[in-house]
Amino acid sequence: MIITRGLIKKYGRVMALQGLDLEVPEGSVYGFIGQNGAGKTTTLRILAGLLIPEEGRAEVAGRDVLRDPRGIREVVGYMPDFFGVYDDLRVGEYLLFYAAAYGIRGEVARKLRDDLLELVELGHKRDAFVDTLSRGMQQRLCLARSLIHDPQVLLLDEPASGLDPLARVEMREILRELCRMGKTIIISSHILSELADLCTHVGMIREGRLLRQGPLSDMLAGDRVRKFILRCNGPVEAAVAIIEGWPGAGILSKAVNQVEFRLSGDPGDIAALLREIVGSEAQVVHFAQTEQSLEDTFIQLAREVNGA
Amino acid sequence: MSILKNLGAGTRNGLVPMLSKEMRSRTRGWRSPVLLTVYLGLMSGGTVAFLWLNLDKNNYIYPNVGLSFYGILIFGLVLLLSFIAPAVAAGAISGERERRTYDLLLVTRASLTGIVLGKWLASVAYLLFLVLAALPVMAVVFLFGGIPPADMFMGVLVCMLTGLGYGALGLCLSAVIKRSQAATIVSLVLVFLLIFGTLVVAGITAGGSNYAEPQYSGEPNFELPGIPWYVFMSPLSALADAMPGAGDISPGRGIPLISSVMNELMQQFQPRLMREYAMKMGYSYSSAYPVSAAGGEKNKPKGLAAWPYWARFALNQVILTLLSLVIAIAAITPRKPWHAWRARRRTAGARAGGS
Repeated sequence: MIITRGLIKKYGRVMALQGLDLEVPEGSVYGFIGQNGAGKTTTLRILAGLLIPEEGRAEVAGRDVLRDPRGIREVVGYMPDFFGVYDDLRVGEYLLFYAAAYGIRGEVARKLRDDLLELVELGHKRDAFVDTLSRGMQQRLCLARSLIHDPQVLLLDEPASGLDPLARVEMREILRELCRMGKTIIISSHILSELADLCTHVGMIREGRLLRQGPLSDMLAGDRVRKFILRCNGPVEAAVAIIEGWPGAGILSKAVNQVEFRLSGDPGDIAALLREIVGSEAQVVHFAQTEQSLEDTFIQLAREVNGA
Repeated sequence: MSILKNLGAGTRNGLVPMLSKEMRSRTRGWRSPVLLTVYLGLMSGGTVAFLWLNLDKNNYIYPNVGLSFYGILIFGLVLLLSFIAPAVAAGAISGERERRTYDLLLVTRASLTGIVLGKWLASVAYLLFLVLAALPVMAVVFLFGGIPPADMFMGVLVCMLTGLGYGALGLCLSAVIKRSQAATIVSLVLVFLLIFGTLVVAGITAGGSNYAEPQYSGEPNFELPGIPWYVFMSPLSALADAMPGAGDISPGRGIPLISSVMNELMQQFQPRLMREYAMKMGYSYSSAYPVSAAGGEKNKPKGLAAWPYWARFALNQVILTLLSLVIAIAAITPRKPWHAWRARRRTAGARAGGS
């Protein structure tokens, strides 16, 4: 559904994108992960037709962003990270304004307005002025705006930023509903825990380069590096000393009687390390592999890149 | 054909919703009624002050009081509109950027031309509303008489032309400068220069050129020197045509400053010997209208110089408007066509190099 090849974008001397290759399958919810300044917003703005790359190719639903900007507007719904609203318009008028800007008028537009307000649970706010809405409500209204022309692809730049926990849950539920409706969605975020619940696919970007992309399950299970937690009845210093000297292991965090560490290798290596620790002075009371999170994977990949 | 259809649809998608939104926004909130109140207050206050000063003396009404009153009124109205028009338009596009609604507009099917036209027409409609709101004040003129409706229509026309051109200038600066406050200040300064600066520069230039005044050789084969075109960037020059008796020696009589400024300019630009000769040949020296065809066809002003003042002002305003709108559209285009072309060429080059 979305393909980019060798995208390069510069802002003066700063390289925002350095040959980005993305592949987003149709109907997927693609989590676009990266730190601030990694190039997420630039990528989304190129896909929305708002920016032109210095080099490279990008296609959305078979339409080239360089050759067919009009076609891109037909298939893409875009929600920027920071956006404003016309504070002197009512919620219903706001949607009708954008409907008219997409060439949708009359009864069709009014029906669409009511349906979309129901979808984002703002039906009861139809006659309220937009500036009286909370931040979460404005985010949902902006999402409704991006859906007004029934696009195949949704580009959501940090849709949950600045929202309280309840508003985030509401936003997540709406996105799930859109996913069920068959939309292809790209969500950029640096709050990785949110994406793990929602995404089917993930792409990790750093300094304008794609580190890794693929189905979420592959990203989490396919890692060679695992994370463990070990608790002792007393100080963990003896165990820490063994872990630090073990090839492929590294301490992640340490408390008085608990240590969290990562270890790369097969189950035989894990058993050997555990045997070594149990044989030492450390009085092991708990040893378990913890679940690898998206965040761990991203940090690990970032470290690998730094190391390289 | 489909390109034209797309162009038309894009323009409509920008113009119609933008115009209706802007007009709705302008009539909501406290700003619009306050501005209207101040505007009408100034007009009415001026009217009351004028009547008080002119009528309460000896219960005697001078015969030309209607003319003087109309002159002051139309002068005030043009000045007010000259500064309101760019101020109203200067926040139109930069406001979208500041509010962060700009990107949301650009991803719709609305064309940039439609968006800019919608913004401009909304500000023009607001100015028309202000002019119409001032008509009851202007109607007081008819109590005294002396002003033909055609001249009053001409006055309103000059007001509207002023609003169209200076509004477009404000919109253009709003697109180029990107910050409403800076755009407003720059547009007000520019408008001030266009209204008064042009006349001052013309006066200074003419003062300098007097030293090189050509001598009359006795042969009626000279061209009547014209007033510089930039003088007609100022609506004050066109107001000379909005007063009764524009064909006589004193254009714009009754309008404060205008009469003396325009007369001074013309005397400077059209040296005395020439003026005397022109008068003999049957031309009104104070106006571009030839009042008689008697004597020397070749001495008649030709081309633009033969146009009446208001027409020359109208031409300048139309050019200013078109230029401003085109620059505004170019300035807000996020995807310059040559950038896309360059990117495609680079990508093709990279592919060819790779294979």
